[in-house]
Amino acid sequence: MNHGAQDISVFSLAIGFLALLIPILILNYFKIKIIKDLAISLLRMTLQLSLVGVYLEVIFKINNLWINLLWIIAMILVTAWTSIKRVKLNLKNYIFPVTLAILISLTLTNIFFIGTIIRPAYLFDARYLIPISGMILGNSLNHNIVGMSTYLDAFRTKKELYYFILTNSGNRQLAIQPFIKESIIRALNPLIAGMSVMGLISLPGMMTGQILGGSSPATAIKYQIMIMIAIFTGCFFSLLLSIIFANKKLFDKFGNLS
Amino acid sequence: MIEIKNIYLKIEDKEIFKNFSVKISKNEHVCFSGHSGKGKSTLLKIIQGYVIPQNGIIQIDGKILNPENVKSLRNLMSYIPQNVNLPVENLYELINFIGAKNYEEKIFNILEILKINKKEATKPFDQLSGGEKQRIIIAFCLSLNKQIILMDEPTSGLDNESSNIIIELVKNLKNNTIVSVSHNPLWWQSCDKIIEL
Repeated sequence: MNHGAQDISVFSLAIGFLALLIPILILNYFKIKIIKDLAISLLRMTLQLSLVGVYLEVIFKINNLWINLLWIIAMILVTAWTSIKRVKLNLKNYIFPVTLAILISLTLTNIFFIGTIIRPAYLFDARYLIPISGMILGNSLNHNIVGMSTYLDAFRTKKELYYFILTNSGNRQLAIQPFIKESIIRALNPLIAGMSVMGLISLPGMMTGQILGGSSPATAIKYQIMIMIAIFTGCFFSLLLSIIFANKKLFDKFGNLS
Repeated sequence: MIEIKNIYLKIEDKEIFKNFSVKISKNEHVCFSGHSGKGKSTLLKIIQGYVIPQNGIIQIDGKILNPENVKSLRNLMSYIPQNVNLPVENLYELINFIGAKNYEEKIFNILEILKINKKEATKPFDQLSGGEKQRIIIAFCLSLNKQIILMDEPTSGLDNESSNIIIELVKNLKNNTIVSVSHNPLWWQSCDKIIEL
């Protein structure tokens, strides 16, 4: 049982877009101004995925160590760049610490999950390395944005708590602890909630993809469980390290949020 | 003990301090009062090095506050903020969190003076009134044996009886330099000097 999914012709795919007509008509009727954003997003998604499709076809065919690694580094850089921009931090100051944090967390997660659990014949096989890294990075991006924003907002709104702990304990690591805690809870809670209803509310994307691609449901489930643990671990380390590495730039010489 | 010399502080186009100077002697209790927005609480943050004026000098215990000595100078201080949501459930957790196990007995002794018994004091914070929490924070900070005690509106949220107990307690602290900010005329009784900003 390893036959690929039924291919969709470009024409059929174009017909698929027609499903959006009714929501667009209703949006237009109620003057809900998201039609332009929707059109731009659809266009971007189609273009980006088409390009990625072409790239991946080539990358999978060549399956060269350096090209695969280069692709991963490009993905890490885009993840770091997007998180910094969304959190509204200075790109020049934070690109290095955040990239380093994501690089370390992804490397460790990949070594553990691809290297010791999946154990493909070739460790850097693009077929495993790129999609799994992509899923971890995609999730890290979202959770990093939520976590870093929460961390910074908490410092702005709860300054007194920081001053109270720092002056009375004399320990800066202790003073930032409640803020890291809050950031991790806020960032990872949706992931934990998502895991708890997985399979009940929806079949997760990766598992569905694998089943459509011809894998047995048993294999798809094992992969799905593994990828969820990998995503959680990757997101956790990526956020924690991003905060730890960014702290050097976030605070001035007096220990104040700059 | 604490000397603020000619500080100039501007925050978001608002001049908070313009050539402001003050000298607080060792073991003196000075209270700053005045309308809101005059920089009273900011002054406490300046002393702790949390707000850095654009100009001027802050000297504590004979040393000019700078990035190299800010940690050791903060170690001389204890800070009682006006309102703080603690990240812990109860007093025991606060003691463990801050690493104040050695001061536990002293904390409960001060709390007895502040009319809160051990059973009451160790209840979850969310079951305590604002005034009870304030007294616990005051007892906690006073027990830390710091030379300088900074208090931001220490009697806010307290009734007159509780305020009086704290005032009496603070009056008897003869070996600490106390810098406070308060609107409360009752509190002023505990001070050696009141400076209107």
